[in-house]
Amino acid sequence: MLVKFFATYRQIAGCKSCDVEAPQDVLALMGVLSERWPEFRNLILNRDGTDKGDDVIIMVNGRHIEHLDGVATQLTEEDYVAITPLVAGG
Amino acid sequence: MAKQLVVDPKKCVACRTCELVCSFKHNEEFNPRLSNVSVFHYEEAAITVPIMCMQCDEASCAAICPTGALKRNAEGVITHDANKCIVCKMCVNACPLGNVSYSVAKKKIFKCDLCDGETWCAVHCPTGAISVVDPDEVPDKKQLAADKLKAAVEEVCA
Amino acid sequence: MTRGNGWIGTILRVNLTEGTIKKEPLNMQDAQDYVGARGLGTKYYCNEVDPKVDPLSPENKLIFMTGPLTGTAACSSGRYEVVSKSPLTGIIGAANSGGHFGPELKYAGYDGIIFEGKAEKPVYLNIDDEKVELLDATELWGQGVHPVTEALEAKHGKVHVATIGTPGERGMLYATVMNDKNRAAGRGGMGAVMGSKNLKAVVVRGTGGVKVARPEGFMREATKARTMLREHPVTGAGLAALGTEVLVNIVNEVGGLPLRNGRDGSYWDKADDTSGERLVETHLIKNQGCFGCTIACGRVTKIEGRGELDGFGEGPEYEAGWSYGAACGVNDIGAIVKANFICNEQGMDPITLGSTVACAMELFEMGAIPESDIGFPLRFGDAMAMVKLTQMCADGEGFGNIIGLGSYRLAEKYGHPELSMSVKKQEMPAYDGRAIQGIGLEYATSNRGGCHVRGYMISPEVLGIPIKMDPLVTEGKGALLKTFQDLTALCDSTGICLFTTFGIGLPEIAGQYREAVGSDETDEEILLKGERIWNLEKRFNIEAGVEKDTLPPRLLREALPSGPAKGKVSELQTMLADYYEARNWTSDGIPTQEKLDELSLTY
Repeated sequence: MLVKFFATYRQIAGCKSCDVEAPQDVLALMGVLSERWPEFRNLILNRDGTDKGDDVIIMVNGRHIEHLDGVATQLTEEDYVAITPLVAGG
Repeated sequence: MAKQLVVDPKKCVACRTCELVCSFKHNEEFNPRLSNVSVFHYEEAAITVPIMCMQCDEASCAAICPTGALKRNAEGVITHDANKCIVCKMCVNACPLGNVSYSVAKKKIFKCDLCDGETWCAVHCPTGAISVVDPDEVPDKKQLAADKLKAAVEEVCA
Repeated sequence: MTRGNGWIGTILRVNLTEGTIKKEPLNMQDAQDYVGARGLGTKYYCNEVDPKVDPLSPENKLIFMTGPLTGTAACSSGRYEVVSKSPLTGIIGAANSGGHFGPELKYAGYDGIIFEGKAEKPVYLNIDDEKVELLDATELWGQGVHPVTEALEAKHGKVHVATIGTPGERGMLYATVMNDKNRAAGRGGMGAVMGSKNLKAVVVRGTGGVKVARPEGFMREATKARTMLREHPVTGAGLAALGTEVLVNIVNEVGGLPLRNGRDGSYWDKADDTSGERLVETHLIKNQGCFGCTIACGRVTKIEGRGELDGFGEGPEYEAGWSYGAACGVNDIGAIVKANFICNEQGMDPITLGSTVACAMELFEMGAIPESDIGFPLRFGDAMAMVKLTQMCADGEGFGNIIGLGSYRLAEKYGHPELSMSVKKQEMPAYDGRAIQGIGLEYATSNRGGCHVRGYMISPEVLGIPIKMDPLVTEGKGALLKTFQDLTALCDSTGICLFTTFGIGLPEIAGQYREAVGSDETDEEILLKGERIWNLEKRFNIEAGVEKDTLPPRLLREALPSGPAKGKVSELQTMLADYYEARNWTSDGIPTQEKLDELSLTY
């Protein structure tokens, strides 16, 4: 499945997107990414690793996970995920 | 030994917060023209430089002051005593960096006193472009150059 | 001169017909009730001008107004407002700008300026503390924003300049007032009103200061707010690093980036080419802040190696990045930066201009505009045609003059008013009201026509600030938008930047305001002033003959063809009913007498 990185997360990942084998859910995916890029650990996950961090936006197929099943949102190979630090504009 | 204000123009975003808080600290009004720190913006180069008193060891302002209004205090800061000042403006002319100023509106001399140790310009600078250091702790530029060279050598060897 | 409690206490009244300049005391009662800047400027305007006035006639007035926090150490306090009736929309036009001009006006000893009448020949106002004079601007007439600013700086020394370009001189309907070269009072054509008065520029140099009522409490509140902004990921790091254009990918990801005049939905596979991330890689030199700003979102940018596109300036922001990017289907970021430079250099609103070019592209592709009218083909994605048309609009050349009418008048002229992506004749910004329902409601109800900065619903709907709302649902949007609009009216009126509200909220805005003016009002009482301002603007618009709150038919009827919001249209009517109820207005969107009494609003 496709994972896209936006804003400063691109510097951490060193790329705009990557392909990973779809884990079961979003929480598992965050674990996979944190393992591959340890710098993500404290940004995209909360302290005890049970939920997403406060300052990260995670979207599955363009929908915020808050409006799906949160980090329990199930993933398949056809899904795509975008993760971005909290940013804003106008 | 007086603390030293250090400026990093690369970090300055030209917001002039330092001018605001400095004027307020010393005059209880927001007025960049009464600030001891001034921000100069070079548009074409996209570089901005804050300038303020360096508390010179060989301070011309104090040397030329005929009444002793400008004197180095125990902390090493050149302070200005308005009660002794006759506003002759010799210090304004004497400072080679232009860091002693005269206010036409207030008819007074003003210069940086490091806010009695509080250094508002540095405390409130949003980007860390102004910081306050002990002169002994100013990063040694030779050391920095050596660090860079070491990194380069490591890269080449690797 | 009573410099204290955030105010100077003096307003300049400049009658351009008579050539007279008067200094009069600030109306302190109105300042208390309408806060400052946007609110107070609008109050002065409503007190003095017939709502039916022709915006470009000498009978109209133009007001520059600062707020009680402008020029203080309150966070991001470099703002002022330009207020008049908009020639583009025919309703209230209030445009907010940063930079350094607003604070300098206060340091010179004036809270605001009211311009009346029309000068016989081009003039500019020169303010040097107490000395205020109208000077001949014949030599400056016909020149762009940058040369005029440089000429006035060369002549008057360390000054700050607000000026118009040549489009403003010609009464081009969305000409801006530009200050400090690249900062714009951008929307609704305030520059055209200035030009109609033969007023080329306002030059100001001030050596005085601004005092606040409770200095210690004020510094405590200001420092608290600044610290919160520095520690917040958006205002402390994100905006400085990547600018506002960082939103491109995120808004595109939710399927809300209107593509090719909204014709092709709101998801674009080339969006990243026009993103803030891309701008950093290609054109950014460094970020820059307005006066007293900890956020420093400004982009100093340069184009090199592109021949005639080469240039140096600021921006683009997210909105211009979209209007010249996705809206025109152009993914050449150099061309986008260039088009934005032209807007800055000549004082034009890039949201309206880019959207109007996009509208013309759609009309051309469907055969509604013959090529002979334009002089060249104008297809979506043609970056050079887009830049050329922008330059023609700046120069008042050929079809550029039609672009200068805005998309509504353009589309109407060619028989398809429904293809103008505008509300009340002002173009909607860079978010699709089908994919992000609440922002559609904001466009429909904004008091200055299509506009996102009257109640920025993207915060809760896309970014989750301060609460997370699903962009696709309608529940709760009306009530939240009402609060956002009132808070925004308050924020704009104090003289601090709206972007601070990503990191601080009502308690911090009200806290700084209270200590500056010496008030003991509660947060709620202060927010009520925002609601009063909103209702005043609405009352003016009704008297001026405002059109009903609606959206272009495309958003109401054409379902999005793809992306996460596929199949959606704007469910405006549902949200409007909730919104009017939250406002305690009638079901037709008219403020009730009960509401007006509650707000002590007589107009």
